[in-house]
Amino acid sequence: MPDKSVRIKVNGQEIEVPEKSTVIQAFKQAGVDICHYCWHPGLSIAGVCRLCMVQVEGMPKLQIACNTEVKEGMSVNNTSDVVKETVKWGLDFHLINHPLDCPICDQAGECGLQDQYMQFGSYDPEMAEPKVKKEKVVDLGPTVVLDKERCILCSRCVRFTDEVSKTNELGIFNRGDRSEIGTVAGKPLDNNYSLNTVDICPVGALTSKDFRFRQRVWYLKEADAICPGCSTGCSVKVHYNEEGVWRVKPRVNPEVNGHWMCDVGRNTYKYVNLKNRLLSAKVGKRDVWQEVSVEDAVRSAGLKLRETKPEEIAVVFTGQYTNEDYAVAFKFFKEELKVKSFFHWLNNPDKLNEFDGLLFRGDRNPNTKGLENAFTTFGGKSGWDNLQAGLSGRKFKTVIVFGPEDQSVFPDLEEKIKFLSSAENLIWLTACSNSMLDSLGCETWQIPVKTYIEKAGSFTNFEGKVQSFKAGTTIVAQALTIAETVDLMAGREINWNLRPQGVGGPKINYAIANRGQL
Amino acid sequence: MQVKLLSEHYDKPEFQALGGYERYGGYVVLAKALKMDPNAIIEEVKASGLRGRGGAGFPTGTKWSFLPKNGEPRYLLCNADEGEPGTFKDRVMMEKAPHQLIEGMIISAFAIGSKKSYIYIRGEYTDSIRIVGQAIQEAYKAGYLGKNILGLGFDHDMDIYVGAGAYIVGEETGMISSLEGLKGQPKLKPPFPAVQGYLRKPTIVNNVETLAAVKYIIRDGASSYRKHGTEKSAGTKLFSVSGNVQRPGTYEVPLGLPLKVLINDICGGLKPGRKLKAVIPGGSSAPVLTGDEANKVTMDYEALAQMGSMLGSGAVIVIDDSNCMVDILSTIMHFYHHESCGQCTPCREGTGWLNKIVHRIADGHGESKDIDLIKKVSEQMMGKTICALSDAAAMPAISFVTKFRDEFEAFIKKGQIGAGGTAHA
Amino acid sequence: MATTFNLSSEGLAFVKKELGRYETPYSAIIPALFRVQKEHGWVSPDAVIFLSKTMNLPEAHINEVLRFYTMFNTKPVGKFHIQVCTNISCAMNGGRELAQALCKHYNVQEGQVSADGKVSVSRVECLGSCDTAPMLQVNMDSYLEGLTPETAIKKLKEMGA
Repeated sequence: MPDKSVRIKVNGQEIEVPEKSTVIQAFKQAGVDICHYCWHPGLSIAGVCRLCMVQVEGMPKLQIACNTEVKEGMSVNNTSDVVKETVKWGLDFHLINHPLDCPICDQAGECGLQDQYMQFGSYDPEMAEPKVKKEKVVDLGPTVVLDKERCILCSRCVRFTDEVSKTNELGIFNRGDRSEIGTVAGKPLDNNYSLNTVDICPVGALTSKDFRFRQRVWYLKEADAICPGCSTGCSVKVHYNEEGVWRVKPRVNPEVNGHWMCDVGRNTYKYVNLKNRLLSAKVGKRDVWQEVSVEDAVRSAGLKLRETKPEEIAVVFTGQYTNEDYAVAFKFFKEELKVKSFFHWLNNPDKLNEFDGLLFRGDRNPNTKGLENAFTTFGGKSGWDNLQAGLSGRKFKTVIVFGPEDQSVFPDLEEKIKFLSSAENLIWLTACSNSMLDSLGCETWQIPVKTYIEKAGSFTNFEGKVQSFKAGTTIVAQALTIAETVDLMAGREINWNLRPQGVGGPKINYAIANRGQL
Repeated sequence: MQVKLLSEHYDKPEFQALGGYERYGGYVVLAKALKMDPNAIIEEVKASGLRGRGGAGFPTGTKWSFLPKNGEPRYLLCNADEGEPGTFKDRVMMEKAPHQLIEGMIISAFAIGSKKSYIYIRGEYTDSIRIVGQAIQEAYKAGYLGKNILGLGFDHDMDIYVGAGAYIVGEETGMISSLEGLKGQPKLKPPFPAVQGYLRKPTIVNNVETLAAVKYIIRDGASSYRKHGTEKSAGTKLFSVSGNVQRPGTYEVPLGLPLKVLINDICGGLKPGRKLKAVIPGGSSAPVLTGDEANKVTMDYEALAQMGSMLGSGAVIVIDDSNCMVDILSTIMHFYHHESCGQCTPCREGTGWLNKIVHRIADGHGESKDIDLIKKVSEQMMGKTICALSDAAAMPAISFVTKFRDEFEAFIKKGQIGAGGTAHA
Repeated sequence: MATTFNLSSEGLAFVKKELGRYETPYSAIIPALFRVQKEHGWVSPDAVIFLSKTMNLPEAHINEVLRFYTMFNTKPVGKFHIQVCTNISCAMNGGRELAQALCKHYNVQEGQVSADGKVSVSRVECLGSCDTAPMLQVNMDSYLEGLTPETAIKKLKEMGA
C-alpha cells in the first residue's frame, strides 16, 4: 500500500484513493462506470481513444481520466451534459468506420463497443458516407486472426507486444483513418503470450484461431481455476457449457500473473474434454479387459493393495495433483497400509528451473512444490534408483501411480509406463485415456480421476504460494476424486447420489455441417 | 512599413556563408551573450515579449522558465519542419541566413543550459538541409560550436535531423517522437517537454524565427525589440504571403500592421479587377476571414484572436473572388485527412468524415443538412485530442461553412461550382 | 526470413555511422530508410527485414516509421518522381491542372509509373514554396517553381525526363 492517500469526489461521492493514482483508477475504485477502450491497467497509458473524458472542477477543458493524476480535494464527474455528449460522439467516431457485422463477429456478447454503445451511446448515427474498407481476414500468426475493419486502433495489442511480451511483432502502420494493425512479412505474431492480445482487444479485431466460430459467448459459463500448465499457477477462468470446456482465459491476480497467462496454459482445457478422457474404469491386461463399474474396479484395486505386503508396494506420485490429494493419499498409504516406499516421478528434471522471465516455467506441473512439501510432512520418499532396483529385483509387486493428468507434458510417459508395468500389478490413476495402458501384460487397473477443473483443492506454486480453487464443472461423471478413490480402496462408502452429471460432448451444428452440401 | 530586423541582409547572397555573415556583424552577439548570466538572457527574452513564431504564440521566455532548475541535461530543438500550408518563411531564413539561426540557437542554448541541440528540418527542404549543414560545419571550424566556445567556457554541439514527410511532426511532441526514431505522433501531456521531452529529458522546442529573433533581442535589448509591434504582440514577424496577390513572398513587418497594408501596399494588391473575397491569415489551420474582416484586422495575436482567427505561423493566403470556397475547403480537408497521425479517435475519424462530406459537396452531391453536420462534427473534434491537429482541421471547416454559408448553400442547391471558381480538379 | 536485399558497402557504412550518431539507435531509422531509397528508389518489405537485422531493431518498428512518413516510397517510382504540390496556394494557381498536364504528357496515371519506368507523377501536400505556386519537386532534389505546364515540361526535359 502506498503510504499516502488523497480524498477526491467522483460524481459527488467522496472517496479516498492512493496518491499518484489516476482519475480512471479512482473511478474503478469507486465502482463508478466510465467509458474507455485504450486504457488497460496492465499496459502503459496511450490516451488515444479519448472516451474516458471527465470534467475536473476548475479546469476549462475536459480531461482524459487515464492520464490525469488525482489531487487532494479534486472533484471530477462524467455525468455532466458536456461529458455525456463528448462520450457519445467519441463512440460515434469509433463506430463510423466500424463494420456492423456483429451477427457474424466472435466478439459479440463480450464486445466493448456493443456494451459501451448501449451504456453511453444509444444515438441515431449521422454518418452517411462510405466506410473505409480494409482487409477482413489477416493471418497474424499461428494463433491469431485480424479483421482490420473491426479494429478501433486502441493500440492495446501493440503495447502488449512491446511492453509485456517484448516480442515487438505488432505495429500500427500508415496514418489517419488508413492506420492499421499488422505484422511484417516474415515476422508473424508468434510468441507464448500471443493470445493475450485477443483478450485485451476490446472489439472483434483479434480473434483466437482456436476459439473463433466455435461458441457464442453468451452460451458459456465461467468457473475460476488455477492453471495447471506449469508451476507458476496463473489464476484463470475456464469457459464451458453442456458440451465441454472451450477456452481458458486469465483472471487478474496481481500476486501471480497480473493480467496475463501464456498460450501453453490456454491449451490445458483440451485434455479435459471427453474425447481425451478415460470415461470408465478398466481392469485386466492386454486384450483381456473386464467391463466393471468404477466402484468395483477401485474396490478390487484396494483389495489387491491390502493383499500385498506393505514393503512390496510402491506409490508413485506426479506433481499433478492437489495438496489435499497428496495428504489423503499419504494418510491412506502410509498410515493405514504402512507402505514404506514413495516415489516422485519428475517429468522433465533438466528443465525444472527454466523460466522465460514472464510467467512460463520449465516445471510443467502445477504442484511439484506441494508434492515435495507432502514428502517432507509425511516422510517416506525414496530415490528413483530404489524403484528401479525394487522393480528389477521383484521386490515391488504392486505399484500404484498417480498418473499425469496432462500426459503431453510427460515426454517420458511411454518409457515409464513400460518400466512400471514390470510390476505384477499396476494401479494407474488417470484422467485421460492412454492406449499404451491398454496393451500392458501385467495386471492393470485404470481408474478414471477428475481434472483440475472438476475438483476442489489447492496447488502450491514454485514460490510456495498456496492457491485454492473450487470445482468448476464436471466433464466425466464417472471420474473420482482422490479422496473418493482412497475411500473406496479402503473399503469405505462414498455417496454416489450426490455425483454431478457429466457433459454430452460437442454437438454437431447441422446448420453448419450441412452448409457444405448446399 | 517593412522593418528589416532579421531580414536586413537577406538580399545579400554572401550572407549565407560564414565570411559574409561575419562581415555583417555575425557572432558578435554570441560573444556578448556568453559573457552574460544565462538567467539575464532569459529575463531579457521575457522582457522582450517574444512569442513563439511557429504557430502557438506562446511567450518564449516563459516557456524556457518551465525547465527544471537543476543540472539535468537538457536539449534545445529547433523546429524547422515548416509544414503549415501557406508557410515558407523558415525555409527563406535557413537558405538566406543559416548562421543567424545557429547564432540565435547557441545563445538560447546557453541561456537554458543546453549542451546539445538539433535542428529538425523537413526532408523536402533539401536546400535548407544542405545550407544549414554546411553552416554548422563552418561554425564548428570557427570555434562557435564545440568545446569552450570563443574561449568563454561554454560547450555546445549542434546537429541536423532530417524529417521524412509528416505535417504532424511540426507539433513539438510529434517532433520529439520523430527525433527519437518513432512515428511522429504527439505525446500525451503531461509531462510537458520542458520537464520530460526528448528521451524523457527536459527539452525546449522553438521555431526557426523565434530562435533567430533571440539574437536581435540580446543585440539590441528587450526595450529596443519592443519598439516594434504592439504592447502584447512585440517585435517583428516574417509573413509568408501567397495566393492571389501581385507580389507574393516573405515580408518582415512589425506586428500590428493592418492586413490591408500588407496585401495592398507591400504585396502589390490583387490582380486588376479582382475583389478580395477571403484571407486565411495564419496558415491553413487559421479560421478564414471574409474580405471585410481582412480589411479591418491588424496582424497581431490579439486582433486576430478577437476576430476569431489566429496569427498562427504568419502564413497569409489571399483569396480573390475568382475562387470557390467549397473547392478551397475541400483542399484543406484533404490535407488534414492526409496528415492526421491517426492515434486519437476523434481526429482520425473526424478528419476522414469531414473530408468525405466536403468532397461529396464539391462533387455536386451535397445536401442542405451537410452544412450543419460539418459544424457538429467539427465542434466535437475540438479540444478532444492529444494535439491541436484535430482543432486545426475543425476550425477552418467551421469558419468556411459559417462565413460562406450562402456560397455553400448555393453550391449544394446547384450541385456545381459557384462564383466563377475553377472546376474541382 | 531470407532476404536477397542488400545495400552498397558505402550504404552499410552510412547506416552503421548513423546508428552511433544520435542518442538512440532508433533515430537512425529515418536516415537508413532514406539511404535505402537513394540506392533502390523505394523501400521494399525485404529492405525492412534487412534493416531490422542490420540495425538490430524490430521489423514492426521500422515498418511503422516507413509507413508513417510520406517521403518514403513503399512501391517503385519512376526515375523521375515528380511531386506536384496541390495544396491551397498551388491549387489556386493551377497546381492540379499542372499535375494533370504532366500525367497526360508522360502518359501516366497519377501515382503510377510510366511504362518505360522513367516517370511517375503524384500530388503532394504543401512543400513550403507557396509564393512560387504552382511548383513541384523531382525526387529529393531542388524545387521547380513558378511553373506553367509548358515551362514544367521544358525544365523536366532539360533534366532528362
